[in-house]
Amino acid sequence: MSNYKRICKKIAQLSPDIEVTEERGCIVLRGEVDDWATAVKAGQAAVDKKKYLGVINDIKTKGFIPRPHLPEMQDSSLDGLSPDVLIVGGGITGCSIARELSRYKLSTLLVEKGSDVAVGASGANGGVVHVGINFSKNSQKHYYNIRGNRMYAALSKQLDVPFEQKGQVMLCCKPWERIPVWLLQQNAKLLGIPGVRYLKRKQLEQHEPHLPDFVIGGMYMPIGGITNPYEMTVALAENAVHNGVTLSLNTAVLSMQTSDGHITSVKTNRGTLYPKLVINAAGVYADRIAEMAGDRTFTIHPRRGTDIITDKKAGYMVKTSMGKSPFSILPYQSANKPKGIIARVRFFINTLTSSSHTKGVGLIHSVHGNMLIGPNAVETPDREDTETRREEVESIIKMQQHLADDLKFSDIIAYFTGVRAATYEEDFVVRKGVFTDNILQAAGIQSPGVTAAPAIAVDICKWAVEYLGKENPVQNNNEFDPERHTPPRLAQMDDDERDALIRKNPDYGIIVCRCEEVSRGEIIDALNSPVCVPTIDGIKRRLRPGMGRCQGGFCGPLVTQIIAEHHRIPASAVKKSSAGSVITYGETKGAAQ
Amino acid sequence: MKEMKELTCIICPNGCTLTVTGDGDNIRVSGSKCVRGEKFAVAEVTNPMRTICSTVRTAYKDAPVLPVRVSAEIPKEKIFDVIRELNKIIITEPVACGGTVIENVLGLGVDIIATSDILKFKEM
Amino acid sequence: MKRVDVIVIGGGPAGLAAAIAAKREGARVLLIEREARLGGILKQCIHDGFGVVRFGEQLTGPEYAQRFITEFDNENIEALTLTFVSKIEKTEDEFRLSAVNREGVVRLAGKSLVLATGCRERTAKQVFIHGTRPAGVFTAGAAQNYINILGQMPTKKCVILGSGDIGLIMARRLTLEGAQVLGVYEAKPTPSGLSRNIYQCLDDYDIPLHLSKSVTRVFGRDRLNAVEICSVDDEMRPIQGTEEIIDCDALILSVGLIPENELAESLGVKMDPLTKGPVCDKNMMTSVEGVFTCGNALHVNDLVDYVSESGEYAGRNAAKYTHAERNEISINAGSGLLYLVPQRLDLNASDLKAILYFRSRKVLGKCALVANVDGKEVFRKRYSFLRPPEMERLECDFGPLGLTNHSRVVFEIEEAPQ
Repeated sequence: MSNYKRICKKIAQLSPDIEVTEERGCIVLRGEVDDWATAVKAGQAAVDKKKYLGVINDIKTKGFIPRPHLPEMQDSSLDGLSPDVLIVGGGITGCSIARELSRYKLSTLLVEKGSDVAVGASGANGGVVHVGINFSKNSQKHYYNIRGNRMYAALSKQLDVPFEQKGQVMLCCKPWERIPVWLLQQNAKLLGIPGVRYLKRKQLEQHEPHLPDFVIGGMYMPIGGITNPYEMTVALAENAVHNGVTLSLNTAVLSMQTSDGHITSVKTNRGTLYPKLVINAAGVYADRIAEMAGDRTFTIHPRRGTDIITDKKAGYMVKTSMGKSPFSILPYQSANKPKGIIARVRFFINTLTSSSHTKGVGLIHSVHGNMLIGPNAVETPDREDTETRREEVESIIKMQQHLADDLKFSDIIAYFTGVRAATYEEDFVVRKGVFTDNILQAAGIQSPGVTAAPAIAVDICKWAVEYLGKENPVQNNNEFDPERHTPPRLAQMDDDERDALIRKNPDYGIIVCRCEEVSRGEIIDALNSPVCVPTIDGIKRRLRPGMGRCQGGFCGPLVTQIIAEHHRIPASAVKKSSAGSVITYGETKGAAQ
Repeated sequence: MKEMKELTCIICPNGCTLTVTGDGDNIRVSGSKCVRGEKFAVAEVTNPMRTICSTVRTAYKDAPVLPVRVSAEIPKEKIFDVIRELNKIIITEPVACGGTVIENVLGLGVDIIATSDILKFKEM
Repeated sequence: MKRVDVIVIGGGPAGLAAAIAAKREGARVLLIEREARLGGILKQCIHDGFGVVRFGEQLTGPEYAQRFITEFDNENIEALTLTFVSKIEKTEDEFRLSAVNREGVVRLAGKSLVLATGCRERTAKQVFIHGTRPAGVFTAGAAQNYINILGQMPTKKCVILGSGDIGLIMARRLTLEGAQVLGVYEAKPTPSGLSRNIYQCLDDYDIPLHLSKSVTRVFGRDRLNAVEICSVDDEMRPIQGTEEIIDCDALILSVGLIPENELAESLGVKMDPLTKGPVCDKNMMTSVEGVFTCGNALHVNDLVDYVSESGEYAGRNAAKYTHAERNEISINAGSGLLYLVPQRLDLNASDLKAILYFRSRKVLGKCALVANVDGKEVFRKRYSFLRPPEMERLECDFGPLGLTNHSRVVFEIEEAPQ
């Protein structure tokens, strides 16, 4: 039976209302089903990486109408512009690309529909810089992850973003687990991942002092690291802008005009643009952008994940990032473990070969000293479903409590949900345009997107320069400054340094956020930065007021006042994030009338 | 009309639960531990009085509102009328804690007074 | 480096009282306050009801604070405002502080410390409110700050979660400023705040109080537009099927206060999980020699009058502090008490008179507080009722009891036989 027929058969079993065709090298699904889960299963059943470029899943779900969240504002501030490059999307991928491109004398414009950079998945993940031990050798995930991982230490230093490389640990509970560990070790060698080795408990404790009792050892992977993903995104954006890139927030791409496989114009809510080249880094909407450009060969099926943040006091429970190995069975699970040798072997092979996207990391030590727990993974039709759910948070905690005995519900200070931009092939789509000549795709960026972004940017930039160089050779930007000069963070300085700075600027001595010790001067610096986002969340993302124990209870009114004064707007005009996120309705004694 | 009303005394932190029965000249209060509580209960069923505290707007940018209170109790039914009067005010001169903001508000025989020194040392 | 005898951290009612008391004992005192003005949280508590016990008057928060600020100024005590303590170190014989203000980094040293650092509010995530993350979720204190300090209106139509005093006060405040308060929801079966506040803040304005109900979810992408209310069981867990959606634009949270003790913990001060504040003796000294605690940092009070009292004790004893051998025993809270302070008694102290503050765990009618030493009853005080929101104060003299360092002292609450 041909691949096509096999796929048709599988899908017919799911629903009779799905039509399957082959178009432009892709497999296309259309129709309407009762629930999203069926649509996803159909998409997954249609995957055949050898035969097709990708799955185009346009199956509709009854009763669900997707409603992208678009910015309120409409103006013509960008109307008529013709930049060399238009980057769609201000996540870590888009901002990495922007920074790479700023090494060249090109007019680059990055547009982001949110009120800040990193408001999508880039701002809602655990910040793990992955090892990539379970990626397949031929995947783009592996290719870009291993290169990105190598770049992180130097990049973080240039951009002044915190980075720690304390390794990643996969925990084992029984001696037989050394066999699959050995297999993974061989795979690691094939993939070119250095330093992977099994450590007995005593040696492992040097890296992870608080191991649960049942752990006898584990696989230690030294190149695992941790960053602050939204700080990194902001840093990349600021450095890009510093080096000449234009950034337009609250700007959404609404449609594109194409002619003969070439994008001629791009319509946004702020005017129509005429870029020479478009780069698609639009996260959960990357397939929509690709569709507008006539170059779609994939479909995004959103998959949300929730992470939990604990108080820094619980941060001691993990020093690296650790999770149980996919094949080990923890004591609390032993009632359900497969019985009999054959079942167990099948179970273990399954866990080794199945894709890792449903397994969360477990416990992560953040760069600020908190412990992050999670994430889980839930398919959702809503691309912007960032709600958290009680049952999910409870089940994440209960599961991870087996790895951190001291963990209490009262240690939790926050939780958040991000949505992964997953394709059905569960791999990145980083390529030149197939049907459209002036587009580059940096799509389907789910985990390990944070790690891979700098490496993806290198390739995208290379192809961009190649394409644009066809007409006239692209010149280097001799003023490119790879270093981002962040304003000072006083709480981390020693007393003398801090004292000297305050004497020059007394605002550095007025502490506004007392949970994280952030001064008025630093907030004003953020408001004066190249990517100024004068909102409560914008300041929170850059400096942390609102992320500490009091979650903005004390500093909220103060930060509101500082933003209002700095921007000479009334306090009621200061927003939490987007234009609609009003904080106060105006002065008292006026609001009621 | 013999109605029984249960209320909480607000005179002191004890917050005694008081029961009031009867009306006119024949009001009986039970549950109070002191005379003030009894008086309060009687007032509650005949002519309830309250103190209210709020803020008034100022013209000072770094002190946008000034906390104020009534200098003595007002009838409970007049609360929102007094609030409406307060809301018309914009303070343009420094006022100290205890200073009068409105004299004899609504002819009720009480003043609106400032309760904070936040404007005391201000210049316009 | 500026050297004094007593450094008071916090210029609210506890710290002000402590500084004044320490000065009157003849100590050189320095008070550090992180805001621009003294008075602490009282600056935004513009309602009255303060000072009934201490002054026999019903004062507003700012007026109560002003009484102490005037005394403070009359005593000529030095205060560093807009100053934030970032580090404290204990050496052999003193405490060294690094503080930050507009002048730079200030280094200070003192023989004893009074930590009058108050408390913070419990947040939405700490009570597991889920859903989206819109603007419009405020803790009651933050909403109070917006209204009473910034003169800004945070809501037009809101729901209040938590019947603690600050939630009740805000229900009235918001109503007086023209907002519609749809209701106050309380997860426990009994209200958390003072009964007189239920009466004058809710009953007066016909604001309904719903018990055994909680908010589980918020809705709204940019600004809150609805909340989900659920009935809850005895363990405050939502009961499935009881969900109702209420349209509103804000959720005001009054779900508890948590004593602020980061500085105390950095010094290794031992904490009491029942109070969430330091373990202290009757002189308000913590487990670390020379570190004193008072006010809401020690345990959450309901009357500021007692906050001032504890501040006075802490300040006086901090001024008189000299290093001496301690011989401490525990004063234990039985299961009927939510907590009691002080938790320790130093048998070497010059006298064994103490002021005990405690809260009952349950709402009780006729009952008694009973003190047992080694299982034998030594003291009994009858109460006609006890309620958790209403903190009790009791003067005790442990002197005549002949306690030794093997004695086991337990305070328990006995319900009267039916």
